Amino acid sequence: MIKKLKQKDGLFPYYMTAPALILFTAFIVCPFVYGVYTSFFKWDGLSSMKWLGLQNYLFVLQDNAFWAALKNTFVYAIVITIFKNGIGLALALLLMGQKRGKGFCRTSLYMPVTFSYVVIGVLWTWIYNPTFGILNGLLTKLGLSGLIQGWLSDPNVALYSVAWVDIWKWIGFHMVLYLSAIQAVPEELYEAARIDGASKFREFIHITVPQINSTIVLNVLLAITGAFVNNYNLVNVMTGGGPFGSTEVALTLAVKTAFVYRNVGKANAMSMILFAFVFIIGFLQFKLMTKEDKN
Amino acid sequence: MKLHKRKIVPAIVRFLILGFFIVITLYPVFWMIAGSLKSTSEFYQNIWGIPKSFMFSNYISAWQRGNLGGKYINSILTTGLFLLIVIPVNSCAAYVISRLRFKGRVFISTFLLVGMMVPGGVLGMPTYTVALKLGLINSIPGIALVYAGQNISFGVFMLRAFYVGLPASLEEAAMMDGCTRFQSFLRIIMPLTKPGIMIQVIFSGLNIWNEYFLASLMLRTENLKTLPLGLMSFVGEYATDFPQLFAALTAVTLPMIIVYLLAQKQFIRGLTAGSTKG
Repeated sequence: MIKKLKQKDGLFPYYMTAPALILFTAFIVCPFVYGVYTSFFKWDGLSSMKWLGLQNYLFVLQDNAFWAALKNTFVYAIVITIFKNGIGLALALLLMGQKRGKGFCRTSLYMPVTFSYVVIGVLWTWIYNPTFGILNGLLTKLGLSGLIQGWLSDPNVALYSVAWVDIWKWIGFHMVLYLSAIQAVPEELYEAARIDGASKFREFIHITVPQINSTIVLNVLLAITGAFVNNYNLVNVMTGGGPFGSTEVALTLAVKTAFVYRNVGKANAMSMILFAFVFIIGFLQFKLMTKEDKN
Repeated sequence: MKLHKRKIVPAIVRFLILGFFIVITLYPVFWMIAGSLKSTSEFYQNIWGIPKSFMFSNYISAWQRGNLGGKYINSILTTGLFLLIVIPVNSCAAYVISRLRFKGRVFISTFLLVGMMVPGGVLGMPTYTVALKLGLINSIPGIALVYAGQNISFGVFMLRAFYVGLPASLEEAAMMDGCTRFQSFLRIIMPLTKPGIMIQVIFSGLNIWNEYFLASLMLRTENLKTLPLGLMSFVGEYATDFPQLFAALTAVTLPMIIVYLLAQKQFIRGLTAGSTKG
């Protein structure tokens, strides 16, 4: 019977996978291959290409602007990963102890996940506004005028101000993931610890953390991979890379190099270097997800 | 007494911290809506509170100036077309990869799943150059196709989990009754993976609805712009009329908030399952 079915299938599996293979090849594989290819040429995107070999990569690696942008990209990624996970986990733990209003908390905190980066970018640009913004207004009202900053105009602060908007958007998302993992920890483990007289903190370190370990790793990886791509949206909407390049990230620099400086070859060389970094993190994330899939 | 105190103090601290985060999440949204109903002069004087008189005319001006109706149509077309392409394509591929044994199965599935490790946005620049060569720039079907290509790996991986769980006897029975392989897939098997399809519709659909980076590279003429792009050009052109800008922001966000509140369970489940299971 099984053999019969097998023979009947014939070319059927190939018809069925062909559309997926074509689309995937056209818009993931081709851009990658074409990106690598054009990164070896001097090309403005319109006129004919001139072979440069590895010159573009040398130009990129000697370009201080690229190193600064790469540094900003990593600072941004590290900051948002720490805060999204720290706050998300802390709120999940607090919410565990809450009896009433749990649903309300979750619904409210999760809402920004559905907003577009453009909307929240524009909104927070206004909150940060030095004269009419509510943030400086609030600090004045609280008598904390010493904390008033040029949130988006001070080169030392701007990158963190932008990163905060990303954190703000995703806190609820990470909280929900942590919440469901913590809820799945068997209650008996805590009961046993309580009989032994363990403190809440020790319970957390010795029971909760090991039990939700894979969720922590997944949350961290999700935050990092998201950071490398999503920073483009907020930086573009809120600061355009300024002031003085202090919020320029690798992606915004690559797009500027291509569209403003008309150097597509160099822009693609930048893209490929960034790609290499993200691919490593993506690989780890994929390993983890497929491991869970098998269990 | 002592025991009582020990319980009350943490409860207050917990309440304050949760309250703080709820306020900083909800107040900006309230502030946006309040600001959209103020007159220009009140916008600067009454920064914090509810407007004295509701200027609904801000919405009419913002809607007309930003041509938000047209942007809504473009966004609906883009996301709708994207889903119409990606759901059947991914369902077909996930079905045969997870349920049939054929030559090249491992190769095809590994090839497709490698894309899981590539966040599409990083390849934004080269993707733009490929789309340019293929003549897909400045076209809504064009960008829908590119989006579909970027969502193959995730979708196939996620749907696969739903197909693997179904018993083989289902199709065997259908095929004994004279169904072809494709008919049994379409009528019997695919309807059973509805939860997986829902996750993909919500997760990928919302991502594309809000997508900005690639759209800003690919949709260059004003009459093709989607909502996120339209908002950005509104910011550029009418940056001095703030109540109207806030009205435009609210007009784009409020329908999403309403949909979210009505279907929050599906949203939260779909988005979290979407990013963890696939």
